[in-house]
Amino acid sequence: MNLSVDHVTVRSHQRTILTDVNVLLNERRIGIIGDNGSGKSTFARLLNGLCMPDEGRVLIDGLDTHTSGADVRSRVGFLFQSPDAQIVMPTVAEDLALGLKPLKLDSHNRQQRVTDTLDQFGIAHLADRSVHMLSGGEKQLVALAGVMITAPEVLVCDEPTTLLDRRNAANVMRILDGLSCQVILVTHDMAQIASYDRALLFADGRVAADGPPGSVIAAYEGTLP
Amino acid sequence: MITGLYIPGGSLLHRLPAGVKLTLLVVAGLGITLIDTVLTLSVTALAVVAAYPFAARLGWQPVWRATKAILIWLFFIAVAQALIADLTAAATTVLRLLILVWTASLVTYTTRLEDMMSVLERVLVWARPLGVSPQRSAFMIALTIRLIPALFDLAREVREAQRARGVEASVVTAVAPSLTRVLAHADTVSEALIARGYDRWDAPR
Repeated sequence: MNLSVDHVTVRSHQRTILTDVNVLLNERRIGIIGDNGSGKSTFARLLNGLCMPDEGRVLIDGLDTHTSGADVRSRVGFLFQSPDAQIVMPTVAEDLALGLKPLKLDSHNRQQRVTDTLDQFGIAHLADRSVHMLSGGEKQLVALAGVMITAPEVLVCDEPTTLLDRRNAANVMRILDGLSCQVILVTHDMAQIASYDRALLFADGRVAADGPPGSVIAAYEGTLP
Repeated sequence: MITGLYIPGGSLLHRLPAGVKLTLLVVAGLGITLIDTVLTLSVTALAVVAAYPFAARLGWQPVWRATKAILIWLFFIAVAQALIADLTAAATTVLRLLILVWTASLVTYTTRLEDMMSVLERVLVWARPLGVSPQRSAFMIALTIRLIPALFDLAREVREAQRARGVEASVVTAVAPSLTRVLAHADTVSEALIARGYDRWDAPR
């Protein structure tokens, strides 16, 4: 899928968050790195239409996020850093079923798809569990399953492992690596994107480096004290 | 604390359609106002309590969970009724409230929220010409139930943070930061809902 960020500038509260960002994203695995406040999360949110450009435009397979936000979001899933905000129903199975609402499936098909997705993500044993009682790792898996149940063509992840321990982070990454859709991952963990097709480094709201992960990570590490 | 109300199971009450259970709940709620003897109300209350282990196979613990949530209110209502009217009026009011809470809890413990939402969506269809979205209205109720424990957590974190910094937590000092966090959480939840396609729910297939 072609994601085109066309000379985009984003401002908020008299501060420029992104300045004239101009990239075309069509690789299967893309990593985004940079310091806190560098604009990488804003950039990720642009791709799902959660954030709108003040200048320029974002096109997802030709669909403008400004005028076709709902259609864009049916193609581009978004995984947040904290699953607590993303999970909105009291039990795991109900939360997964919620994501299917726009598809207006009948009860049998909806239930089947929930069961299949629970199995796919290894969380079938949590189906009737209260989401409030889950561990952080389990919650992030439920949040990921809740996004993937709609089968988006692109998944944008905004630091999905930041709040997890190493074991759960590795589990989430293993699942992300196995997905067939295009994945765009914002992360502070360089090892997670080392094998990706492409990486982007954000600094002061601009793309400071763009290319194979090895060279982009080296460029970032060169800026560290 | 409410931690998600549905308790999984395969009992007769679990299998009963959500629409039937909600209709029975409304009928019971209206019917209870017609009973005004303490004896009949007591027998009815016992019957409802007995339904927990026998008809719903939930045991006794959920009865206590439902009761303790309103215990303090029952106490104040009973005292007020006893002072204003008499002991019989106090007992009648308390029994009616207990029967209502136990019956409503029995329905929520044995019915998935998703099924209740489907019933509400069907019931609220008449309101669509008035500009009310049945799907969104039903979802608002579900979301409220889901977020109650999350809001308790936010308030607890604020109290703990204040204690850690040597500020003795009180209602006054906790309200402003708790409210700020609740509003920030509401922002994040609404953004997550948009990301999950909430704006496509009412769209035709």
